[in-house]
Amino acid sequence: MKFRSITVLALVLLSPVSAGDNSGIVVREARVYSEADAGSAAVARLAAGTRVEIFSRAGGWKEIYSEQPATTGWVRSYQVREGIYQPDAESTAGSDSRGFLSGLASLSRKASSFFSSDRSRTSSGTATIGVRGLSEEQIRTAKPDFAELEKMDGFASGNKRARGFAQQGGLVAGKVPYISGAK
Amino acid sequence: MRANSRLLPAVAFALCCAWAAPSPAFDLNDLKKQLEEVREKTDTGKKKVDQARGKVSPAQEIEIGRNLISGLLGAAPLVDNAPLQRYVNDVGFWVAMQSKRAELPWRFGVIDSDGVNAFAAPGGYIVITRGLFELLENEAQLAGVLAHEIVHVDRKHHLKALQKSMKREFWTDLTVGTVSDKQDREKLGELINAGVQLYATGLDRKDEYQADLRGVVLAARAGYDPYALLDVLTTIDSINPDADQMEVMLKTHPPTGERLERLAASMDGRLDSYAAGKTNAARFSSLAAAR
Repeated sequence: MKFRSITVLALVLLSPVSAGDNSGIVVREARVYSEADAGSAAVARLAAGTRVEIFSRAGGWKEIYSEQPATTGWVRSYQVREGIYQPDAESTAGSDSRGFLSGLASLSRKASSFFSSDRSRTSSGTATIGVRGLSEEQIRTAKPDFAELEKMDGFASGNKRARGFAQQGGLVAGKVPYISGAK
Repeated sequence: MRANSRLLPAVAFALCCAWAAPSPAFDLNDLKKQLEEVREKTDTGKKKVDQARGKVSPAQEIEIGRNLISGLLGAAPLVDNAPLQRYVNDVGFWVAMQSKRAELPWRFGVIDSDGVNAFAAPGGYIVITRGLFELLENEAQLAGVLAHEIVHVDRKHHLKALQKSMKREFWTDLTVGTVSDKQDREKLGELINAGVQLYATGLDRKDEYQADLRGVVLAARAGYDPYALLDVLTTIDSINPDADQMEVMLKTHPPTGERLERLAASMDGRLDSYAAGKTNAARFSSLAAAR
């Protein structure tokens, strides 16, 4: 274990100081384990908002390095989010990770042009406060649009097409039994 | 051991008596007959209960679904991007094929709303908002979200919620299997109205947890990394919950943190061998670049 920590530390020291592609942030308080196994020794605890480097991923685990506090080890994957740290976000070091990103815009990974052609098309409707489309009130009062449903029918896939699509994407179907609640 | 060996002769004796002189109560044929009668009675009882609780035919289920999804499309139309819509249908259909209801007319769509949400309607109709789609990083995450919705259809969560919400009299005169009858049509209309309200109030929390838990298994069956849904929930959890875009989704689902904790605990170690499943990030982002 010690050798491994040293190797990891050396890697970190050799890499540029400003976080690269493998940076991440602890989004939920995380216990750090020595192995990717909850039965292994717990070596540290990281608060939400802690900045980390992510080295690898195995199953539901991520191997991380944290400078402050200094520690290396494995955390559950969902406790650490990959991506670039938002220095201007509010309340980054709070005990609760929620809202550490100031809004949706900072999370949107695609250029807004992805859907730009649609914006003008639907913005002619009634002025809305807050979210366009699908506020609670809009869901309750909307008139069914059957022409739009027919359009949806037109895009439908089928057994053959879906199989071809899966094959193209290297997807192989397997037998996986359903799991019940917590162990 | 000693107690057993003492008991043994007694048991043997009792068995011999029963064998040698069967009383009517021990007649196997009689017992069979009685059992059959009981079964018949429970069967007719079951039928009555099913009718009373509203066993909706597949045709009716699809009709309800088409109406409900049309309502959502009335609030937010499909995003005008045919390659994207076909792509989402391919991912969704492939995942749905791994469920027990592969024969349904599965339809998927991205609708033009900033709100972060996804909806399912009976019969296999599923939409995801542009707001949620834009948060996704790869195909496995899309598959995870669609799988969650597919479970709602597969387990008939909306139908069951409707069955509970309507009064018993409602179901007693709903004929099973006919969609053409005028009275039935009125009843279907009532059901659809109740279904619309359901989108604003949400399903039972245990149904949402089940959709998470079964959803990751469906994704794994389809060859995707099942942990991708956890990543989506992690992203959602890191958004300011007071944002307008989050309102309806958070109101109609259990707290995201609670979903994460439960799902992670249930998955822990059990799906690790499928974590090497595909994410198909390249295919996902090339779709965006192709525009």
